[in-house]
Amino acid sequence: MALNPWLTVIIWAIVVIALTGPMLTLPMFWSRRKPDPFRDMPFESGQVPQGEARHRLVMQYYPYLLMFVAFDVVGMFLFAWGMSFTKIPLYASFPVLLFLFLLAAPLGYALHLALRRENW
Amino acid sequence: MVNLPATPADLIPFLFAVITSHTFIQIILFPGFIHVTLVTAFLTWYERKIIARIQLRIGPLYAGGPGGILQPIADGVKLIFKEVMIPYKADKPLFLAIPLALVVMAALPFAVIPFGQNWVIANLDVGLVFVFAMISLFPLMILIFAWASNSKYPFLGGLRSLFQQVAYEIPMWISALSIVMLAGSLSLVDIVNAQARIWFIIPAFLSFIVFFISVMAELERLPFDLPTAEPELVAGWFTESSGAIFMLQFLALYMKMYLMSSLVTVLFLGGWWGPAFLPQPVWFIIKTLIVATFIIIPRAVFARIRVDMLIRIGWTRLLIVALVNVFLTVLLITSGLTAILGM
Repeated sequence: MALNPWLTVIIWAIVVIALTGPMLTLPMFWSRRKPDPFRDMPFESGQVPQGEARHRLVMQYYPYLLMFVAFDVVGMFLFAWGMSFTKIPLYASFPVLLFLFLLAAPLGYALHLALRRENW
Repeated sequence: MVNLPATPADLIPFLFAVITSHTFIQIILFPGFIHVTLVTAFLTWYERKIIARIQLRIGPLYAGGPGGILQPIADGVKLIFKEVMIPYKADKPLFLAIPLALVVMAALPFAVIPFGQNWVIANLDVGLVFVFAMISLFPLMILIFAWASNSKYPFLGGLRSLFQQVAYEIPMWISALSIVMLAGSLSLVDIVNAQARIWFIIPAFLSFIVFFISVMAELERLPFDLPTAEPELVAGWFTESSGAIFMLQFLALYMKMYLMSSLVTVLFLGGWWGPAFLPQPVWFIIKTLIVATFIIIPRAVFARIRVDMLIRIGWTRLLIVALVNVFLTVLLITSGLTAILGM
């Protein structure tokens, strides 16, 4: 008896949650739980934690993240094209190949910006 | 086909039909949960043993069986009975839920990995995209866990993990693109079927190299293990996890390692194909363990690289090699070489 593949994936997810969930919940029942202010401190090399842990950090390497946003979309479209590459005539692929070729210019400029030391 | 229940009265027959189906037995036993956890547990022992051999040690020895093969069970029992410590001011629901989510996310793609012609839980027609979607949720989950644990070392490790996995995801996708072009399908079963005559590692060797390096980076293995760098960040993003939480994270990481090795096997090493004297799943697991060995060995051999070097290698070298490889694949297909090779 065959099941719909997506339904099967959902059943697989439910089975995984049902079988690994007890590994997390059962220890709550039998493990010793004694609150201790010193033991519950976040680890900071044995010192008393200083300041906020969730403070603002300098965002390094952000040009790379911007590139990710662009290439993420490009990658997804390329998959749709690559899957049908052998089935469509070759001249239909020329715009995609031209686009990929032209992509070298913005990629080069983005890498030039990203590799500059002041942007680290 | 089993139809979804329309009324509540149909629910019982539906559940019965699901539980007695062939697929459900597969979900529980072979390509499913028991097999995945057993191989994952084996991998933890296997890694320790291999690294011990390289460093002229013996490794796990005393936990029963030949060579202490029951060590993962001993570790699991130890971790289950330990106290779960939740740091001061941590976000408790997230702190407890994310390790479970990591395991689910590492285990879900196994539904589409074909271990044999009929040994696949769900033959999705977008299997490869499904696997990549699940893998790309990992850095987000790690960052949420790092934020939830309210400590500085995990937070820095989570940010590093985000950067690293984001930098190496694009080369990984684009190197897999040439496989999709050669096979003409996104279904992993079709991709393996297209390799019946010749494995894709031969026409797409550049792509294999890029994919393998990206897999190492995605798995945060040495030389790319910056998110868990011991000398700088104590244990990276799982500094604050203990007991059962640590066990689930460990399970998720090694499950992901098994997943990525099997993905390399599916995409490049011909999946289940091999001489007929062994059954198909055995060939698949042998190939996967060989790939896993090559993922493990660099941990004992190489030193860690710097953050800026890591990101620069990913974006400049690997991305450009992957894009060049796409053009090479176009040439390969249009010149008719693939037809000569019998693909």
